[in-house]
Amino acid sequence: MFPLTFYRIAKTSFVSFWRNRWLSLAATLIMILTLITISFFISMMLITDRTTESLRDKVDMSVYFNDSASKDQITAIQNILLSRADIKSVDYISKEKALESWRARNKENDNIRDLISETDNPLPRSLEIKTQNPEDLEKINTLLSSKDYQSLIKEISYKKNKLLVDRLVKLTNFIKIGGWAMSMVFVLISVLVIYNTIRLTIFARSAEIEIMKLVGASDLYVRGPFVFEGMGYGIIGAIVSSIIFFFAFRLIVPAAENYLGLSNLNSNYLGISLALIIGLQFLIGLMLGTFCSVLAIKKHLK
Amino acid sequence: MDDDIKLKEEPASNSTDKVAEDKKVQEDATNKASSASTVENKVEKKQEKASAPAKSEEAVIEFKKVSKTYGKNIKAVDNISFKIAPGEFISLVGPSGAGKSTLIKLLTCEELPTNGQILVSGRDISKLQKKELPFFRRKVGIIFQDFKLLPRKTVYENIAFALEVADAKNSAIVDSVPKIIEIVGLTSRTNAMSEELSGGEKQRVSIARALVHKPKLLIADEPTGNLDPVSTWEIIELLFKINSQGTIVLLATHDKEVVDALQRRVITMRGGKVISDQAKGKYIL
Repeated sequence: MFPLTFYRIAKTSFVSFWRNRWLSLAATLIMILTLITISFFISMMLITDRTTESLRDKVDMSVYFNDSASKDQITAIQNILLSRADIKSVDYISKEKALESWRARNKENDNIRDLISETDNPLPRSLEIKTQNPEDLEKINTLLSSKDYQSLIKEISYKKNKLLVDRLVKLTNFIKIGGWAMSMVFVLISVLVIYNTIRLTIFARSAEIEIMKLVGASDLYVRGPFVFEGMGYGIIGAIVSSIIFFFAFRLIVPAAENYLGLSNLNSNYLGISLALIIGLQFLIGLMLGTFCSVLAIKKHLK
Repeated sequence: MDDDIKLKEEPASNSTDKVAEDKKVQEDATNKASSASTVENKVEKKQEKASAPAKSEEAVIEFKKVSKTYGKNIKAVDNISFKIAPGEFISLVGPSGAGKSTLIKLLTCEELPTNGQILVSGRDISKLQKKELPFFRRKVGIIFQDFKLLPRKTVYENIAFALEVADAKNSAIVDSVPKIIEIVGLTSRTNAMSEELSGGEKQRVSIARALVHKPKLLIADEPTGNLDPVSTWEIIELLFKINSQGTIVLLATHDKEVVDALQRRVITMRGGKVISDQAKGKYIL
């Protein structure tokens, strides 16, 4: 019994969809636009979030020691730092290691590279400090700048990345807020358009509805086609926007990875992936469509 | 099904010979012109079988002090009480604004009474729950002056529609629709589009549609208002036939000739009140 009922309701809905096809097309387009906008901003947020994270990872502090400082003193400082909760890692760079890095950095340029050799190695030993949050580096800086360590420490330097990360965090927040705002605007527009479209469909079929009520049609047959119509907008919109998004994703992600120097943007980061965004589109589409149709029915179908 | 009364067979409309056609039309006209007396004859024959005015125990529909007020002081129906027994044929007459349409709306639950009770088979229909309404409406067939057929659909589809939206199985539909089409005498027009039908044919489709759920009550709200005299009598005859098979028929009409010829119960309304209720009534102005 149920499939037959569903078939009849679906058929009524399709016929009406086709009869008012330009209206239906407009409503579907708006839904597609809304869903694409939402997906686009979610992706943007993800990409910038990932970029921020990976750059935050690169932010660290280097503490250069005077040659007069003993290994024990350096180790002592290292341990003090490691015992702190806000420290992520403290790596000791020996003179030899410093030389290795130097050689690697200057492999193109023999002259400069050969300025330093094993026997004449002025490169200082250092501790590379990474904190859990880039903001905590300030505290470490203060700590190490105190009188106790002044004799040991030659120089403390932050990588310039911190400024960049700060800027990027600001940008991410801006995108988040802007993205939400734009998405909400689109959602509002699509609610208005779809609600009105269904309202118009109800009106267009009012003679038929009157007859339905006279012959004692069950509620399912009177309302069903309109709910089906609303859900239809949601699903068709989601299908089309998913296809568009899928191809855009395929094209943009590799480019973004290259440009930003990230890897595996579409791997399961925080459980979010391409599949999930597409699933979200369907969910939002269905919810929006059904909500609009139920509202229109409540207000305009006796 | 009672085979006592059969409708005349639908004349074949495929004749290309204009003369023969003209002759046929003339014949029909002569036949139908006397159908007023035909109906009268049938009525006389059935005199003995005619049901007496409703007795309390038999009443299947009862209006108990029913009033319907719109707004603050527009009394469309004012303290009406009457009973209807099974099998009755009732003409409901009265000037425009008398309250006939309102009474019909109350009977189909399109409106709820402001006061009083409307009992159908002992049940107060004003207390029906929303989900019970569709089922109630299937048991009350109703036809209108403007037919209310679905455009762009055939005779068959229009009638089948009433069954489809009541969740009937396709097999049941295929089974019963042709039979109903036969009852109203439209078998030859089964696949005609509703736009192609004459007024009389359209009304017959409406009647057929109203019959699909085998209703206890058939309400006809000015069914012949848009029809010529010949079609008018066809429809009245059909209603009469349906009534003879057990369905209560409530005919709201302005047609004095019809009411007088029927010699059945006549309820006259004016100003929202019932001013006359006669077992073998006449149209009172």
